[in-house]
Amino acid sequence: MRRRDFWVLMAPSLVVMFGLLAYPLYRTIRWSFERVQYGADGTWVGLDNYREALSDPRLIHATVFTVGLTLVASLLLVVLGYWLAYLVNQLGRTKPIVLGILLISYVVPQIVGATMFSWLFNSNFGGIVNHLVTEITGTEILWFTDPWANRVVILLNVLWFMLPFAMMVIIAGLQGVPHETMEAARIDGARGWRIHWHVIVPSIRGVLGFVCLISVMDILRVFDALIPLSPQAVGIGNESIMLYIYNVAFHDGGQQLGLGSAINVLLIVLIVVMLFPFIRDTAREANQ
Amino acid sequence: MTRHYIVLPAVAALAATAVLASGCSAGSRVASEDATKVACDIKTDKPITANVLAYNSTAIDPYTNTMVQSCTKGDVTLKHRPIDFAGQIQKTTATLAEDSGTYDIVETYGFALPDLAAQKKLVPLDGLIEKYSDKYALDEINADMTNGMSYDGKTYALPMQAQTYVMSYRKDIFDKLGLKPPTTFEELRAVAKKIQDSGEVKYPLALPWLASSDIATAYDSVMGSLGENLTDPKAKTANLDSPTSIKALEEMRSLLPYMDPEVTTFDQPAVQQQMYNGSAAISIMFSGRMNDLTMTSNSQYAEKTAFAPPPAVEKGGTLFNTLSIDGWSIPANTEVDEEALFQMMAASVSPKASRAAVPASYPAREGMVDSDSSPFADASNEAIKSAPATEPYPWTSRISIAVTPTIAKIILGEISVEDGAAKMQSTATKILADYR
Repeated sequence: MRRRDFWVLMAPSLVVMFGLLAYPLYRTIRWSFERVQYGADGTWVGLDNYREALSDPRLIHATVFTVGLTLVASLLLVVLGYWLAYLVNQLGRTKPIVLGILLISYVVPQIVGATMFSWLFNSNFGGIVNHLVTEITGTEILWFTDPWANRVVILLNVLWFMLPFAMMVIIAGLQGVPHETMEAARIDGARGWRIHWHVIVPSIRGVLGFVCLISVMDILRVFDALIPLSPQAVGIGNESIMLYIYNVAFHDGGQQLGLGSAINVLLIVLIVVMLFPFIRDTAREANQ
Repeated sequence: MTRHYIVLPAVAALAATAVLASGCSAGSRVASEDATKVACDIKTDKPITANVLAYNSTAIDPYTNTMVQSCTKGDVTLKHRPIDFAGQIQKTTATLAEDSGTYDIVETYGFALPDLAAQKKLVPLDGLIEKYSDKYALDEINADMTNGMSYDGKTYALPMQAQTYVMSYRKDIFDKLGLKPPTTFEELRAVAKKIQDSGEVKYPLALPWLASSDIATAYDSVMGSLGENLTDPKAKTANLDSPTSIKALEEMRSLLPYMDPEVTTFDQPAVQQQMYNGSAAISIMFSGRMNDLTMTSNSQYAEKTAFAPPPAVEKGGTLFNTLSIDGWSIPANTEVDEEALFQMMAASVSPKASRAAVPASYPAREGMVDSDSSPFADASNEAIKSAPATEPYPWTSRISIAVTPTIAKIILGEISVEDGAAKMQSTATKILADYR
């Protein structure tokens, strides 16, 4: 390819990357050292925003909640995604129908899906789960004001939303496992979970790592689903880092863009730290 | 072949769902076809395109739709995109911040207006009101509502409609148990207890006490009913740890046994839902929400629902109430001709448009709401006569937003009333320091 053609083809991508990624990142980092209001020039305050953010107990709570949710949900996504993918992969003629149904939750806009999901637990809007649990246990669980009950609702929603994606990726991986390897393992006497643990899982390690990578990245940024799922998130300690940033910088016309930017930079650092093992593994796989 | 067999139906299912989902959430970008048409003839030398920022609700939509439908003709084009209340607040802040903004007409309300006016973000309208008073019958607009849209002696919004708290209740249950609409909190507790004890409704009382917003309005209303403002505007001190404040918080907590245990997650639509499905027998919320309760398409209990003014906290006191006035403002940074924009606003609140908005809203014009035009007219008129005075100070909204989480914690019992009140006082004092 000629150099001129190369740059003509690359230019749109470079413009988009600079405009939507590099420049906003630069502004975020710069604002994190300034006191900024909408439409006004920032005032340099050094590390004040970082000091304020790190001394706010809400940030600690939000970080613990977000990281906890990310770890638990990512682990469950891999395990359940693998199990579901294995089952669906066994299907014959019904596979496309089952796949289509399972994928619905992934294509519904997250805020819409989360709102509908919240109604399952809200007796004011039908609340079928609420009703069943009360019928069976005889107790009324406060799904939106009890911190742990609410965490269960949020976790279930994350799984409901992201499981189809994990399943799809793992199905693609399963289809790449050589039949010869499976047959050889069976001839050697491997049965049941040993087939999965010693043959299939090592064969799709890269795929599972990719699922973890995307899950960690997505769940660390959980935000809009919490609006309907946890209307009292701040009060009960179920505020995610992204929701915390939103509340500080934008909620009710909030004006703390500098503080919000500082928290955002800290979130980016956290995301990089948590993704590092997966990025390293993915890079190694690619090199091999 | 097998791969196509799997992929095609899956993609088709995905596409169909995506189309359905996007269709459901798309909303409408054009005014309702059946919007009331009024005279709106604006002479202009050059084409005008004006963007209108107003949140969507049954009380506001009639005015927005009338403005967009009536004034869009010839060289004049009005644009309005659907948005919710929270989104509107953010967009208002953003559009007023720069030297030039996105919007040319913004819907504002009494709570937020003083802060915007103090920052000179809005155009004073007194001259335009005087000039066009005869043409649009602006002298018939309620003077108190115009005052509610004023700051420091100047009017910054053309009042459109007002909302106060109104109480709705299930008349069939009240009649069955021989109850009368409560006029004080003590009576409210007694009535709620009787309904609860009768087994008719487990949690008879429904109030919008969402921990992130509505609960602060409720606290302010209880304070107002007890005769105290959030702040002393002359001394610029807060009253949030005063004996009245502590009593207000205790009064709020005293209602908890009669409300859904998750009341701090309930906004006004959730309270409406409680009335629709019969899981509550008494609700108190803004009058703009009441018309929905009268529609048989919404609830099987619509015809059994009656209305009354909200109770006072104490006998003889002002009602547990708040007056919220909505109006149209012109951003100071608009590049569109201000006179043309003012006429669009004036047309939307003309007598014909205002009359057509009843009963969904309570227009700012005198004598528009009576028992012939609205099933809750008497309750609204009574409520609006006895609403606590507004607090038109630039710090009111800042303090209210800042103390909201603490109010929620007090109501939930996570912090004692006294400690919470002290914390609120400290927060408010820091904010007030900016205005001394």
